[in-house]
Amino acid sequence: MKYEEAIKRLEEIVSEIEGGKLNMDKIGESLKEARELIKLCKDKLYETDEEIKKILETDD
Amino acid sequence: MRIVETITLQELNGRVKSTLQFEMPDAYWVQAEISGISPSGQGHCYLELVQKDTTGRTFLAKAKANVWRNTWLKLKPYFEAETGESLKVGMKVLLQVTVTFHEVYGYSLVVWDIDPTYTMGDMARRRKEILDQLAKDGVIGLNRELEIPMLPQRIAVISSATAAGYGDFCNQLASNVYGFRFYVKLFQAAMQGDDVERSVIAALDAVAARMDDFDVVIIIRGGGAVSELSCFDSYNLAYNIANFPLPVITGIGHERDDTVADVVAHTKVKTPTAAAEFIISKVFDTAQVLEGLARRMGDAVTGRMNAETVRLERLAQKMPSLFAVLKVRNEQMLENIWNRSVNGVRNLLTVKNHRLELLEKSIAAADPVLILKRGFSLTRCNGHVVNRASDLKPGDRLTTVLADGTVESEIVG
Repeated sequence: MKYEEAIKRLEEIVSEIEGGKLNMDKIGESLKEARELIKLCKDKLYETDEEIKKILETDD
Repeated sequence: MRIVETITLQELNGRVKSTLQFEMPDAYWVQAEISGISPSGQGHCYLELVQKDTTGRTFLAKAKANVWRNTWLKLKPYFEAETGESLKVGMKVLLQVTVTFHEVYGYSLVVWDIDPTYTMGDMARRRKEILDQLAKDGVIGLNRELEIPMLPQRIAVISSATAAGYGDFCNQLASNVYGFRFYVKLFQAAMQGDDVERSVIAALDAVAARMDDFDVVIIIRGGGAVSELSCFDSYNLAYNIANFPLPVITGIGHERDDTVADVVAHTKVKTPTAAAEFIISKVFDTAQVLEGLARRMGDAVTGRMNAETVRLERLAQKMPSLFAVLKVRNEQMLENIWNRSVNGVRNLLTVKNHRLELLEKSIAAADPVLILKRGFSLTRCNGHVVNRASDLKPGDRLTTVLADGTVESEIVG
């Protein structure tokens, strides 16, 4: 998933919860999804992505 | 034989020389274009000057011009400081010259002074012409319309590996205080001299061939004594930058007017370090967005949980009073039922009582004692009540019950 997509999805989740539209049973699920998205984004910001490194090291 | 007056070539050239000196002793400010420049080992500088027609293809005039060492030592740094450029081929210059003629070397000019504002004006005019053309071709704003991705981490750098600027850029990125990760790949190109246009375009092409691997392109160059920026005032280079599919950021290190490349780039900064800072600030903004969302998420969930807790507590508090109300209601209902039952029973009993009384009265009325008292009597024979005379025969003994006692008698007939 791309960073921008993750942020977009996060926005949606937060708005849903803020809007009070979500029932309590679904909040747990959303919270879990949001945590995963936040982790994904933070990893992209702060952790080295070996795959990107490898791609950029190759010349063509 | 006719005697013709002859002179030697040296005498002829000498006459030309003295005529020129006599007729044109003054210094002239002359506009020309440099078509050749070669510094000599002795510290002089030899220029080739031309004037072209409007098509730029035909020479209208040509002359050699010499800048002697003493002049060149002052004039070169002065010109470079003013324009940010060194004198080079293709440049329009305004020079103060005197005309000389040497018997061996012929006609030439001696340069005494230069007016850098003329060159700057010409460069500005050329920049404007290029920009006008780019605008006319509809490409001037294309790169600026692109959006820098939220996370510009994969950076294609176009620079020369040896340039200090490239090192500055990489260091600045790598040492960002937030700990953001960046991926930098260098695409080598000449950053000064005649090869800039060709090699930068070639580097852009190389990036474009694998554009999915990158988020942004950065063109940077380190300082140097003279900026030599006019090579970035190139239509072809600018056209390539403007049309480039990724945002291009220029940090080509200058203080004066923007080059054409800067104008068409998505973002222009002054130095490679500033280019790195720009990228870091973009990622910082993005990180802030993420932090904000995470905070909002936390607040929203906490808020929702609190609200639900309050709701639940309110419900729990309501329970006893709800039960109390229910209890009272049930009790009333029970009482009603009870009362109704009791009344029902009571009514029923009253009715029954009445009937009993009636029965009692009729029973009382049927009491044999009362009947006896009224003068009736009860006759028994052998223990049986006698109802019919025909049941009796002479000799039977009768017992007659009267109100005040019994009488024994015998039937005689």
